[in-house]
Amino acid sequence: MTRANSKRVDPADQAVISQGLIAAAREMGAKLIRSAYSPIVREASDCAAALLDRHGNVVAQAELIPMQLGSIGATFKPCAELFPPETLEEGDFYINNDPFHGGQHLPDIFLFSPIFLDGTLIGFSATVAHHLDLGGGAPGLNPHATDVHQEGLIIPPSKYNHKRDWSGGPLERLIRANIRVPDQTIGDFNAQFAANFIGMERVRALCTKFGIETFEAAMAELLDYSERRMRHAIAEAPDGVYTGEDALDDDGIGDQPLPVRATVTIEGDSIAVDFSGTCDQVTMNLNCPFASTIATALSVVKSVLTSPDIPFNEGSLRPVTITAPYGSILNPKPPAPVRARLTASYRAYNAVMKALAQAAPENVIATGFDTTESVCLSHLGPNGYRISLEIFGGGYGGGPERDGCDAVDSPMSNCGNVPIEAMDLEYDFFRVVAYSLRPDSGGQGRSRGGMGLCRHYEILKDGVTFATYSDRFRLAPDGLFGGAPGRCAETHLKRGDETLELPSKGSFALQKGDVLMIQTGGGGGYGDPAERAPERVAHDMKQAFISPDIARKVYGTATAAE
Amino acid sequence: MRVGVEVGGTFTDLVAIEDGQVRIAKVPSVPSAPDEGALAALKAADLPMDRVDDLVHGSTVAINAILERKGAPIAFLVTRGFRDLLLLQRHNRRQIYDLFYGKPAPVVGRRDTFEIDERIGPDGAVIRPLDTKHLTETLTSPLAKGGYEAVAICLLNGYANPAHERAVAAWVADHFPALSITCSCDVTREFREYERASTTTIAAYVQPVTDAYISRFADSLEKIGFTGRFSIMQSNGGHLPAAAISGNAVSSLFSGPAAGVNGAIRQAALAGFKELITLDMGGTSTDVCVVTGGRADLSSETEVDGLPIRTPALDIVTVGAGGGSIVWIDDGDMLRVGPRSAGADPGPACYARGGTEPAITDTHIVRGSIRPEAFLGGAMSIDSAAAHAALKPHADALGMALEEFADSAIRVADANIVRAIQLVSTERGRDPRDYVLTPYGGAGPLHAVRVAEELGIGTVVVPPNAGVLSAFGLLAADFAQYDTLTRKVLVDDKAPSVVRDVFADMAAGAREAFAEFEIDAEPRFAPTLEMRYVGQAFEIQVALHHDSLDTLTAEELAARFAEAHIQLFGFGGADFGPCEIVSFRIGALAPPSDLPALREEDSLDHGADARIYDNGDWRDCILIGRTGIRDAGSVSGPALVEDATSTAYVPPDWRATIDSHDNLIIRKGDATP
Repeated sequence: MTRANSKRVDPADQAVISQGLIAAAREMGAKLIRSAYSPIVREASDCAAALLDRHGNVVAQAELIPMQLGSIGATFKPCAELFPPETLEEGDFYINNDPFHGGQHLPDIFLFSPIFLDGTLIGFSATVAHHLDLGGGAPGLNPHATDVHQEGLIIPPSKYNHKRDWSGGPLERLIRANIRVPDQTIGDFNAQFAANFIGMERVRALCTKFGIETFEAAMAELLDYSERRMRHAIAEAPDGVYTGEDALDDDGIGDQPLPVRATVTIEGDSIAVDFSGTCDQVTMNLNCPFASTIATALSVVKSVLTSPDIPFNEGSLRPVTITAPYGSILNPKPPAPVRARLTASYRAYNAVMKALAQAAPENVIATGFDTTESVCLSHLGPNGYRISLEIFGGGYGGGPERDGCDAVDSPMSNCGNVPIEAMDLEYDFFRVVAYSLRPDSGGQGRSRGGMGLCRHYEILKDGVTFATYSDRFRLAPDGLFGGAPGRCAETHLKRGDETLELPSKGSFALQKGDVLMIQTGGGGGYGDPAERAPERVAHDMKQAFISPDIARKVYGTATAAE
Repeated sequence: MRVGVEVGGTFTDLVAIEDGQVRIAKVPSVPSAPDEGALAALKAADLPMDRVDDLVHGSTVAINAILERKGAPIAFLVTRGFRDLLLLQRHNRRQIYDLFYGKPAPVVGRRDTFEIDERIGPDGAVIRPLDTKHLTETLTSPLAKGGYEAVAICLLNGYANPAHERAVAAWVADHFPALSITCSCDVTREFREYERASTTTIAAYVQPVTDAYISRFADSLEKIGFTGRFSIMQSNGGHLPAAAISGNAVSSLFSGPAAGVNGAIRQAALAGFKELITLDMGGTSTDVCVVTGGRADLSSETEVDGLPIRTPALDIVTVGAGGGSIVWIDDGDMLRVGPRSAGADPGPACYARGGTEPAITDTHIVRGSIRPEAFLGGAMSIDSAAAHAALKPHADALGMALEEFADSAIRVADANIVRAIQLVSTERGRDPRDYVLTPYGGAGPLHAVRVAEELGIGTVVVPPNAGVLSAFGLLAADFAQYDTLTRKVLVDDKAPSVVRDVFADMAAGAREAFAEFEIDAEPRFAPTLEMRYVGQAFEIQVALHHDSLDTLTAEELAARFAEAHIQLFGFGGADFGPCEIVSFRIGALAPPSDLPALREEDSLDHGADARIYDNGDWRDCILIGRTGIRDAGSVSGPALVEDATSTAYVPPDWRATIDSHDNLIIRKGDATP
């Protein structure tokens, strides 16, 4: 077939190879979830998968968790610098969870497997999973850690060999000895390795079919393609310098807000996000490693300015520059603890969104609950530790047309809930006794903010530990363009006749008979509530999403629609 | 005489077979009243209704009721504390970067959901007894005043012990005898409350609509003199007498696609093929399914409109690649096909009904693989110039000749279909080269051979009358009854006898059901276990042979599971710990008494030769029909084989023959016929 340019891959071949890569990454993610052992991976899907070219550029990803997607390349780089790809052999893999060398937080372990075709390196398959427990000062989550060493086992960027070091080998033994629920964790590692092997097989098949030259040209074109589409989208937004600000409630010790500031500069088809003016890093675990900050800023830019069908890869990063002062909460120095990094990440998310609201008001939503509320219940019984780790979001902010999504995981994450019946089968030291929407928690507006959720746990044994981190217990998510703020989150503990209010961050000893009551926050409203269509108000009342009281006060609706 | 009537979105197809004589009819569907389309098809075929012994029907009534949210008003009863199960769903998003994301809307609102004070544990033990006083207080007034037609009941851990669901159902039946009642334990007995609740509410929601439809259609049939057996197709590929569907409408949701696969299985079996990949390409999408040993894969995880449904259905994967799929260039200069479709209205540009965007059908016109005068057997007029005009700006934008662009677009569409097939083959640890490809639907046979080539498949079997194969699939379907039971059993020495006992009970139940439905044939049984490693959450299917259950050992069970796990995930074996059975499924299947066959008479005038642009060149191409090939013994590509309902393309290096059952068999050049 004649081609205008000899380097250009035939359009049909390009489509086949691009689709093949994206499908392979998606298959890796799906199989990782379905063969995993721990509820956090198999039910909540807290994991991701990607394929990289031989230089370490992410070419295709399984779109599972935004936080784990934006910066896989940054996690790869320190491994490749220490152990150059050309020295790798069949069966080798890179492993990294070091927050200060490209990692995120310790539970997220990244594995990269080199892919060879007839002895030639053609790329890498990669997976990351959130592991239930990696040792450290407390099971699953140590909210009192004041440095990263108390948070668990650090695996710095390293190279091992699957055959030699895993399956009973030294690395597996070392990890197994340092963690509390080894069967589940090692099971999840095995699922990660198996997913990497599947990615290798698929890439080899594609490369065999088209030849290395065409395959590599197509991977390069896929990166250029995403870049072109990103630039095209950014160029549509008006040039300018836009700023936004939000704040964390507190550092978990004091009660002072921790501000996060973003300056977004749009110039032609490029965009720069700078976090100067953001508060310094803190003693507790809210610090956000720079890789996580990159993923956050990219996610907002991608969500607000671009079409969802642009494949997210290294090419989509090229038009975007992200900077944060070293030593700030968004680019901390070691040995800062980072376990609850999403807390600071979300305020960065909100600050960038508020800045972009000035540039593209029809593409944004109001500030949502936008917090990862982490709920960890653990118990040491005669057969060892049992750990339940769940994360919850709340309401999304309202948008120009639609109400915010109710009771859904927050934007940088995408974890499913663990079914009540799965919890019942798995854990004997607590029982979930209620799980519901939280009416009236969404901020009112032309579009209502989404509702938060409630989950109640009855504690069935003494000696249970509840560890948590959350935010937006003090500072409500702002409404936008006249919308009202969403409601704050709250946590209560019912013990006998008493009901105690618990703070957003910390760890607490629970006893048999206690009822732990979680309520997450709603999202902010968008636009003036006076402009809300009466039929939408009536619908909300009929379904009891808002109380008659709110209907009367905010919308002036006199009676409930019966 | 046996008759199949299949109501599709656009057309209603009919196939009737009596003493080997085949009659077909194709009439426009009546979306608002599917039975009118079905009656019109019966009229068009001019059948002697009093001679019809068996009439099997498939329709879109149940699925449309969900898509249009026009099912029955229902009340939903849940365990106290869990009223919002259907709104909370699984707390995740399907599009992770979509700020305006909304969850799929459940079929029942918050206001119509009521909490029952009770709790059962995961082992079936009663943790909190059912409070009947509370039940009376909570339900009496709303059920009396709510205007409901049906009640869905799904209580926590009801799969482990249905006692409370049964007790609540009994209370409702006592106090509100007019309400139709659906319990989760009768629909699906699997853990995960959201998915089970979704299935249960959907089952309750479609039941009254389906019942009304079936009884109206049965009345109409009686009026035109029909006295035979009236059956309804199910999602699992089998059919049951209409009376059996009156408690189980949700099992008929995906009857259309299942019927097509079934037709392909029957017709390919006549040619001796039992390992198939079916490819049904219509106007807006393509469905693919894998058939192993003459049995299609079953999946218990399907969904409609984003709502999960957990009843066994043929495991069919759909991609947005059909004749109407739009060809376009995105803002990154990539050539794309679909998922948007021109549909039937306005349709592709060549339909000349106002469509200006090029669709896949237009690309076939431009590169010569659809002859305007032969489209649908010449029954529809085609504007070739409009197809050319629609493609031109896009071809210019990529700097390609018109025919080169058309050919590239077809290859991109083929790539989408290849992806779908890989999803059900390669991704399940199967090598597509071990299968033959069986295309049907209007556009399937045009694309099939190139798709086969991409996958390394050497044989393509095009059934006769490929455009109405689904209707044939109806009348050729087995009677089928499936039963599933969740029961956790660790695989140890005691396991084989438990497996035998459970399956023996289930088989006895199926025999009773067959007797009740007055099906006199002795069923054969297809037992399947769902298994996993202890600690995993998702099960994989391990099919057993009913005849060899007597000699089953624990080692064999573990080995069969390990083999399936390795095939799917790439790892498994004794190193990964003990395995367990999570649920048991058995299919009771009885084939229709005299297995009919589809035939095709060739009555078309194929005219002069044509030219096709394929793989970079214009090639002279033979135009021929099935009779012509039979007379000649075989034909080598490039050739277009034109039928009344579809056209098959035989590329260079491939050769086509006709077997004694009117199947068109196309093989890769060097293969022996």
